[in-house]
Amino acid sequence: MKKKRIFWAGLFFLMILAAFVIPYTPLLNDLSRVYGAFLFWNIFALIVIVCLGIITSKWRDLG
Amino acid sequence: MSATTIYLALFLYFIVGSIIARYAGRKMGGGVNEYFLAGRSLGGVVAALTYSATTYSAFMLVGLAGFTYIGGVGALGFELIYLSGLVLVAFFGPRLWLVGKRYNYLTPTEMLGDRYQSKAVAVVSAVAAVIFLIPYSAVQLIGIGALVEGISGGAVPFLAGVGIASFIAVYWTWTGGLRAVAWTDSLQAAVMLIVAVLSVVFIAYRGFGGFGNLFTALESQYPAWLTVPGPGFFNIHAFIGLTLPWFFFSLSNPQVSQRLFMPRSLAQMRIMVMGFLIFGFIYTLVSILWGFSARLLLPDLEVADAATPALLGLDIVPASVALLVMLGISAAAVSTVNSIILTLSSMITRDVFKNIREDSIAHQELLVGRIFVPLFTVLILGFATLRLDLIAALSVASSAGLLVMVPALIGAFFWKRGTAPAVILSVVGGGIVATVLQYSGLKPFGFWPGVWSGVISTILFVGVSLLTRAPENKAEEFIGYLQEELDSKEVI
Repeated sequence: MKKKRIFWAGLFFLMILAAFVIPYTPLLNDLSRVYGAFLFWNIFALIVIVCLGIITSKWRDLG
Repeated sequence: MSATTIYLALFLYFIVGSIIARYAGRKMGGGVNEYFLAGRSLGGVVAALTYSATTYSAFMLVGLAGFTYIGGVGALGFELIYLSGLVLVAFFGPRLWLVGKRYNYLTPTEMLGDRYQSKAVAVVSAVAAVIFLIPYSAVQLIGIGALVEGISGGAVPFLAGVGIASFIAVYWTWTGGLRAVAWTDSLQAAVMLIVAVLSVVFIAYRGFGGFGNLFTALESQYPAWLTVPGPGFFNIHAFIGLTLPWFFFSLSNPQVSQRLFMPRSLAQMRIMVMGFLIFGFIYTLVSILWGFSARLLLPDLEVADAATPALLGLDIVPASVALLVMLGISAAAVSTVNSIILTLSSMITRDVFKNIREDSIAHQELLVGRIFVPLFTVLILGFATLRLDLIAALSVASSAGLLVMVPALIGAFFWKRGTAPAVILSVVGGGIVATVLQYSGLKPFGFWPGVWSGVISTILFVGVSLLTRAPENKAEEFIGYLQEELDSKEVI
């Protein structure tokens, strides 16, 4: 469990760091289109939601 | 919109909610656990809806839409990174739920006091929560007051809006405790979401001919609004300063973290978390599109927070939809305020009263808790009548202040060396830093109060812990129990 915990914590840290940094880099900060930062942050949030769906699938009715 | 229409709509909303609250009140058993936590027996759907309604306040369709209006897409990043803060619940949710049941904790601050073996920890944390959540709640009432005043053209006075909202919040809470709050929250969350989606569809189709045209217009007329820092509002310091405290919201705000004690099982907690994420994702997008629409349709507004009332006044929004949106925003505010009132009351009775009067018996504890429900409402109402400006700024200031709880909470579950003096100093020191910086307007090295309060409370917590003696037995027992339980359930 500890390894899994470290894996998910590391993955989330990188994803959230990317959500702070990437829209401010030249990759996206000049792209004034809907498929720029707007799409990036939406995809980021959807990936987080899917990851949480995977993690919480272990939460069962154990009283 | 006429004053009569607004008063009538608010009256109907009050009646429907009151029927639900009274029914919930009749289902309520005795005791503080029942009054403040609904007996730890909430189903996942109700838990998800009350979590959503409590988290999302008038800030969304007013403040966040305003942020989008002046700052563009950065507002989306800010709010979706906040939503991603639910990753913290993946780690802390099952832990809080398990220890809540095992040790019968009523509040997250009671948990801190027990874990660090110090009554002072519970008292100081509870008082800090009261100090920072009162302005946050007052801002909600100010939102309703300003909204009804705005859309009625002044016919409904600001104070009438604030007063009506306070009365609704206190009546429902008093009637049936958390069960009434959760059930009325469920109704309010449904109203918030349905009305928000409906209104944005109206605006997109009647204002632009569809969502595609809305985005095309944005790309051609306001291209900077699709980038960060874009128009300048969301420079990197502002973005971090706003977003960082909100990322930790699910842990730092006791009215939310207390909800992790309430689901009847981990499976129901899963429904709560996933339900909230879906709700939050849709509600965020709607609020952002609302702000973009205002930018295109009403380019000359002087105050960003006026974007919503101004949009509601346009011909493209039918009066009936505008009225529903007003109710939806009022519902968002009331559902946040009554949850905060209930949580603060539970903290006063458990963390302050019970620690001072150790010989108190159960019914006295409940009585004190219930008395504080109207007392806090009056306090919040008083603060709201001061009518301080900058709705979003004050909300964020509260989050910066509450952020100081986070190091102690993380330490409680993951660091056996954490100590009580360290918690007290980190909460007090971090809280003072947040308050002084917020009210002086100082931003050392460009960083906002929320960054400094987080950094300083972390340094104080770690540094003082290393210099003082930890409650080793309790830490071993507490963390050891969790490790065993979580491993057996294969939960991370």
